[in-house]
Amino acid sequence: MTNTIQILSIEKTGKESSLQKEHNNKSIKIIDGYFFSRNLDDQKFTKISKLISNDVSQTILTKKNVKKVLSSYSNFNWVVEIKFLPGVTDNIATTVKEVIKDNLKSSFRSFELGSTKIILIKGRKEDITKISKNEANPLIQTIKIYPFKQYLNNFKKNQFKIEKVKLPKKKYSKKEINLDISDHQLSLIGKLGIEENDKSRRGTLGLDLESLKVIRNYFSTIKRKPTDVEIETLAQTWSEHCKHKIFSAKIDDIQEGIFKKYIKGATEKIIQLRKDNFCVSLFTDNAGGIEFNKDWIICHKVETHNTPSALDPFGGAITGIVGVNRDCLGFGKGAKPIANTYAYYLANPNKNYQLYRQKNNKDPMLPANFIAKGIISGVRVGGNCSGIPTPQGNVYFDDRFAGKPLVFCGTVGIIPKKIKGKLSHKKKANPGDIILMAGGRVGKDGIHGATFSSEELDPNSPVSAVQIGDPITQKKMSDVIIRELRDENLYSSITDNGAGGLSSSIGEMAKESGGFIVNLEKVPLKYNGLYPWEIWVSESQERMTLAVPPANVKKVINRFNARGVEATIIGKFIKKEKAIVKYNKTEILNLDMEFLHEGYPKLNLKTSFPKIKKEKKKIIKKNSLIVKLHKLLSSPNIVSKEFIATQYDHEVQSTSIIKPLQGEGRVFGNATAIKPLFDDEKSIALSQAAYPQYAETNSYDMAGCSIDTAYKNLIVSGANSKKIAILDNFCWCSSDEPDRLYQLKEAAKACYDYAVAYQTPFISGKDSMFNDFKGFDKTGKSVKISIPPTLLISSIGVVDKISHLTKMTPDDGDILLVLGNTRNELQDSVYSKIIGYEKSKNPVVNSKDALRTYRNFEKANKLGIINSAIGIDLGGIGIAVTKMAISSKKGLTIDLKLKNKISVDQFLFSESQSRILVSMKKNKLANFKKIFKGSDYTIIGKCTGLDIVEFKDNKKIIRGKISDFAKSYKKNIKGL
Amino acid sequence: MNVLVLSGYGINCENETLHAFEVVGFKGKIVHINDLIQNPKQLNNYQVFAIPGGFSYGDDTGSGNAMAKKILTNLYDQLIDFSLKDKLIIGICNGCQILINLGLVPSLNKKDPEVAMIENKSGSYECRWVDVKVNNNKSPWLKNISILNLPVAHQEGQFMIPINLLKSIKANNLIGLQYINNHKKLAKGQFPFNPNGSKDDIAALTNQNGNVLAMMPHPERAFYHYHVPNWQNNTSKKFGDGYKIFMNAKKFFA
Repeated sequence: MTNTIQILSIEKTGKESSLQKEHNNKSIKIIDGYFFSRNLDDQKFTKISKLISNDVSQTILTKKNVKKVLSSYSNFNWVVEIKFLPGVTDNIATTVKEVIKDNLKSSFRSFELGSTKIILIKGRKEDITKISKNEANPLIQTIKIYPFKQYLNNFKKNQFKIEKVKLPKKKYSKKEINLDISDHQLSLIGKLGIEENDKSRRGTLGLDLESLKVIRNYFSTIKRKPTDVEIETLAQTWSEHCKHKIFSAKIDDIQEGIFKKYIKGATEKIIQLRKDNFCVSLFTDNAGGIEFNKDWIICHKVETHNTPSALDPFGGAITGIVGVNRDCLGFGKGAKPIANTYAYYLANPNKNYQLYRQKNNKDPMLPANFIAKGIISGVRVGGNCSGIPTPQGNVYFDDRFAGKPLVFCGTVGIIPKKIKGKLSHKKKANPGDIILMAGGRVGKDGIHGATFSSEELDPNSPVSAVQIGDPITQKKMSDVIIRELRDENLYSSITDNGAGGLSSSIGEMAKESGGFIVNLEKVPLKYNGLYPWEIWVSESQERMTLAVPPANVKKVINRFNARGVEATIIGKFIKKEKAIVKYNKTEILNLDMEFLHEGYPKLNLKTSFPKIKKEKKKIIKKNSLIVKLHKLLSSPNIVSKEFIATQYDHEVQSTSIIKPLQGEGRVFGNATAIKPLFDDEKSIALSQAAYPQYAETNSYDMAGCSIDTAYKNLIVSGANSKKIAILDNFCWCSSDEPDRLYQLKEAAKACYDYAVAYQTPFISGKDSMFNDFKGFDKTGKSVKISIPPTLLISSIGVVDKISHLTKMTPDDGDILLVLGNTRNELQDSVYSKIIGYEKSKNPVVNSKDALRTYRNFEKANKLGIINSAIGIDLGGIGIAVTKMAISSKKGLTIDLKLKNKISVDQFLFSESQSRILVSMKKNKLANFKKIFKGSDYTIIGKCTGLDIVEFKDNKKIIRGKISDFAKSYKKNIKGL
Repeated sequence: MNVLVLSGYGINCENETLHAFEVVGFKGKIVHINDLIQNPKQLNNYQVFAIPGGFSYGDDTGSGNAMAKKILTNLYDQLIDFSLKDKLIIGICNGCQILINLGLVPSLNKKDPEVAMIENKSGSYECRWVDVKVNNNKSPWLKNISILNLPVAHQEGQFMIPINLLKSIKANNLIGLQYINNHKKLAKGQFPFNPNGSKDDIAALTNQNGNVLAMMPHPERAFYHYHVPNWQNNTSKKFGDGYKIFMNAKKFFA
């Protein structure tokens, strides 16, 4: 009899090798453990062990063999046992349960099991403690460290324990909340949550005093007290995360708010000017949709998952990516996800920031490298397991992300324009339609996620805000929806369950029909004991909500079940504009839809001009040009991100056509492309850009640069300039401070100006306004760390023909040209950070000049004049030139004589915008000149085909070997 | 000529795999494993059984293991029967891991799996293009192929084979594909040419008849010329190297 199955790999695993290397200890072994809630008899033990292990590569530990087997590896003396906390998603355990049930059928039922990672070492207690800190997150896992002797003893005495969720089994009785209390008491409800009978608080609602007063007035008008569920629902629905109150607020003299005036305003203006069918579905749905070809629509959505990723990097990131996948599934009648994108803004992973959420070195922030690694793996597992390619992304490092990392996750989807003759992007839940919840079950995970992501990260941030995604459950659900249900038109509307869970998804969909009635006791749960309000707002992942006509319900449920997916009727949509929720026949929520969605108090914001923080002067180091190039190439924001590209499957679905690593020398590109349909050569080009480093100097110019770069990268890749759309993701800080709001307003204004100039509609966007950390440093001093204002612009464009797609590799004899104007714009550049600051200006985009360059480039490219091209951005011409040489493994010679009134360093490293480095065959030059007449370009050199890059400065020739540059460019990022 | 392409529980390359078969002339269908378990007789309608790549059961309990156990419980006899006929079976990536876990390849001692797929030596997921060569293997899948340029994308691509078994695998010429370096010589375990540290640079194995092929690289992802990295330097051909594998299946039945 035993209650555990423990398996170890006979040979050293890759994971063990990397642990051994990292900790400089050859005696480390990892055991996969499974702890059962019941004892297994010998026969079952053997049977189950065989099911979940491999005879050839693994050994199963038993009471009899454990000592002998392990002693053959080393004289271990310390053990760490890492298990998930009760209630945290344990995907491995789910699979094992399914395998056991499938094979043993009825002979072994009703058991619980948890997966456990057991690490054995020979070393000191400090060593195992250090390993446990790198391998486990106390927020979601229990970490037990004990001597090896005790481990053997546990084995002998069956003392491995699984921890079950223990929830109070108190019966639910309707809870009414008295709001006729003092302002102080009222604000406590908003800040700390509803008070339970035992005086404990549920966790922040994120409701301010004014909102609570509006709620009090509403209920006094209808002459009753609100229930707890009603207050929770209003808190979710009115959260900054869901309602974007700052973007819709009156700000200074902008009555309609910056979203309506600048973002939506830009798109409306563009649609009015364009008069074509490019924009299909904007701002109203889960993602934004544009026309791909005459039969298909593509949609794109980018989300952030910053706060969850600060607390649990892996869980936060995986939930971010599978969550935004669901936004595609919830676009129109359901788009198939065809590409993921990512962008991470992180602290230096090699630095120890030592930040604490509480005084006296309590409640530490996770180390920067743990956060970075966790985020990178979260998106890897989420994307790879879902079978969605992840070609496009980037990473940026800055100390100011030490308190909060930014994690942007995006997805592109595709859907036929018409399904059974009906427009696929239109959907409407009809009165009488059944509310069906499909996919995963509901647990306590993620409760208060929406309200909490709208608040600053402080000591009271709730830990249950963490969720872990289960991509396989979602993949199974997604396959049924896209392949089997959608094309038969079996449902009338669909949306995903993200922030706010059912309260949000049903609340939103019910706008289509009028209202809804939900019976919460019908919702399938992961474990018993959840209160109705928890079921209603839980953010358990992998769930979609569907509106299904009653006649189709049986068919739809059967389809889901046949694919191993759960689907449950939980209510119906009604015509009456009422939101009604019942729990075992007791009505616990009854609100007017109008009040639910529009009742919140509108903000009235004022801005003030910020004090501009000038860069500290740094003496320019007297390095040679080659040394400077090496320093810049190996700096974290320029160095290759190949190590991410190779762990993200970008080839699945067989659509990858411009890959993240380009040329024989594998340079990490600015844009990628996929060809989504087998029978059309049209492709989708993707890129993105953000310049947080430019933000404090001038946020208007910062936003201009972001739009220009995201747009330019697609033009350079070969996209049709008339078929480019953009997405805005604002990640701001301290958005209650007038100077931060000024920067926000300015950035939004630039969004309008440049989007209209470039004719690129905003099709979707999201904002996250409080990315600040408030806590303490190691001396106990209170600190606030705010991210620099960050605007990520994602761009998506259609490439009409394969032959339009460009490459960044020149051929021998090609001449090299810089298109666009190079000015002395080194302020806030990588050069000024790494080499030194000199008096200079920040990059400013002149949209007229830029557009002339882009239009001419597009024309020349279509005529086959351009042989290779690369957008010039961080590190300027110098870095673009070396990247071209590394990528093609072909030497280039650059003439510095042509720099025109600026210094060599300014010429080579200025980050002036709207420039492209191109190469072409000599015989194309005449045609090129015709097209580019009157536009700025400079011939700067040629491709020699040698193994060096050389710069000619008058009579001086400075040379660097390509292979040396490649080494610097491919240097590992310390700490990762 | 009909091909059945398996799907379900996290398999995810079924569309492109079916497409590749269709382009070379097969008729095919994607069949969910639960539907196949419900009606295993439908296998009689097919000449090729393909298990595409993916992440069945999220690789939990070892890549391919959980799906192999599901097949073992519900479909094993039918699949053995299929493999003994003049028919073809291919497992790509996760499909390869499933076939290995089922013991359908190399199948020298029947029933129990003899080979294991373990984690890449690098400890990380590897999505990259590699060159592989065919060495004296008589499998119809590999006929007239010498070298292929294909992508791999896996976390557990290392073939682990007990020494004695490796000897008989070699004696029987069951190594299907081997990783080679940029000089067209065996990679000898050198990264990144051998992306996972597989012993003897093994990238694919076959059974003794050669009609069952378990390969880690993805031929369906190297099907058209524009799939190949830096294809702009060579636009003369319509297809990539992966095409040859699917054409061979067609030729086998022609």
